[in-house]
Amino acid sequence: MQQLTDNALMLKVKSGDLDKLGLLYERHKKRLFGFFYNMNGNPSISEDLVQNVFIRMLRYRHTFTGEGSFAAWMFRTARNINYDHYRKHKKEANQAGLTSLEYRLEDEHGLENKMEEKDKISQLNRAMQLLTPEKREVLILSKYKEIKFSEIGEILGCSEGAAKVKAHRALKDLRTIFLQLEM
Amino acid sequence: MEQERFDIWMMEYLSNSLDVKGEKEFERFLQDHPEYQKQFGEMQRTWGQVDITSVPEPSEAMDKRFFDMLHSEIEKTKASENSLPSWFSRITTVLWRPQMAYGILLLVLGLNLGYFLNSDSPSEVVKTTVADNSEAEGVRQQLVLTLLKQPSANERLQGINEATKIKEIDETVIKALLQTLNSDSNVNVRLAAIESLTNYLDHPTVREGLVQSIVKQDSPIVQVTLASLMVALQEKKSIESFKTLMRTQELDQSVKQKLETSINSII
Repeated sequence: MQQLTDNALMLKVKSGDLDKLGLLYERHKKRLFGFFYNMNGNPSISEDLVQNVFIRMLRYRHTFTGEGSFAAWMFRTARNINYDHYRKHKKEANQAGLTSLEYRLEDEHGLENKMEEKDKISQLNRAMQLLTPEKREVLILSKYKEIKFSEIGEILGCSEGAAKVKAHRALKDLRTIFLQLEM
Repeated sequence: MEQERFDIWMMEYLSNSLDVKGEKEFERFLQDHPEYQKQFGEMQRTWGQVDITSVPEPSEAMDKRFFDMLHSEIEKTKASENSLPSWFSRITTVLWRPQMAYGILLLVLGLNLGYFLNSDSPSEVVKTTVADNSEAEGVRQQLVLTLLKQPSANERLQGINEATKIKEIDETVIKALLQTLNSDSNVNVRLAAIESLTNYLDHPTVREGLVQSIVKQDSPIVQVTLASLMVALQEKKSIESFKTLMRTQELDQSVKQKLETSINSII
């Protein structure tokens, strides 16, 4: 139902009722922010990129046909924006990975006990950052309960089966990197 | 079982893509095939550790920036939609002044009188053309040209009305409309010509023609209308024409003020 409503709202935006974009923003801002944050680990850059997604949605609203899910269209836009950003700031992105890791650790657990658990999470986060952006992206998307593999296929431009295979390979690579870091 | 098929099935299970029946089936398969249990266990652990939910809250500044952007976009869209009608509303404000209102009243009366005195049907050529080819674009253009040459102001207005229905306007018709704007004896016809020409502002000849027409106008209403249009179009080339008009003609005080305001708004 939500999907239908999202599509209907975006069609309204397309027809000139720009106010409706505010509703779509409220619905999806956290998910989009989470997507970018998991991709680049930088909260401030992630906020900028969320803004860019909605600016691009406005600019290219005429391309929204209402066929397929709104989420797939939105994440496809988000993905392109992330790539553009990654290309422009390739060097900074590598450094940001490390600083964001620290940010994340403090944010989640503070500097209290649970050192072991923290180490593991820290290592997994590092492993995530060492994955290729494509693999990190498919893992993040497949972790969202609301997004089906058929939609991930739509976002990545491949079939549902291929999306599942990609997700599995990414998970396998993550595990390999994780184990290497543990040694 | 083929490895890739198992990998896909495992991903479906881990990402909760299977229904209850499908989940049970997968679990039963694992029980029956211990060789797959190990790789499933490893993947399940890693999958469970991938945490995408521990994300900080986005700041309020993000909301503020988004809504600022959205409002400015909405304003921009409204402004572009209203830019042409707004110059008409500005004209109406000017027209409400008593002198102007009397002028218009007299014009309307004159027009009606002219209509009744001239109510004999248009020339045979015009009638035939309308009857035979009312839909054809080329004929319509011919019709416009013919109507614009008619002695009756009412027929010339009819010609301008026909011109607004043309989708792809011909250079000849544009020139005829500009000619009407520059030299027609009737103010209403000239005003209608301006309105009709605003439909073809993308055409360079139209813009150029409108700018050049400024200095040729002696009617305050037409002068004010053109001034408002130029402001709406932000046509910088018109500034010189307005200055020339102010230098060369004895203008009505309110028109003079309007022209000065317009020049300032365009600059």
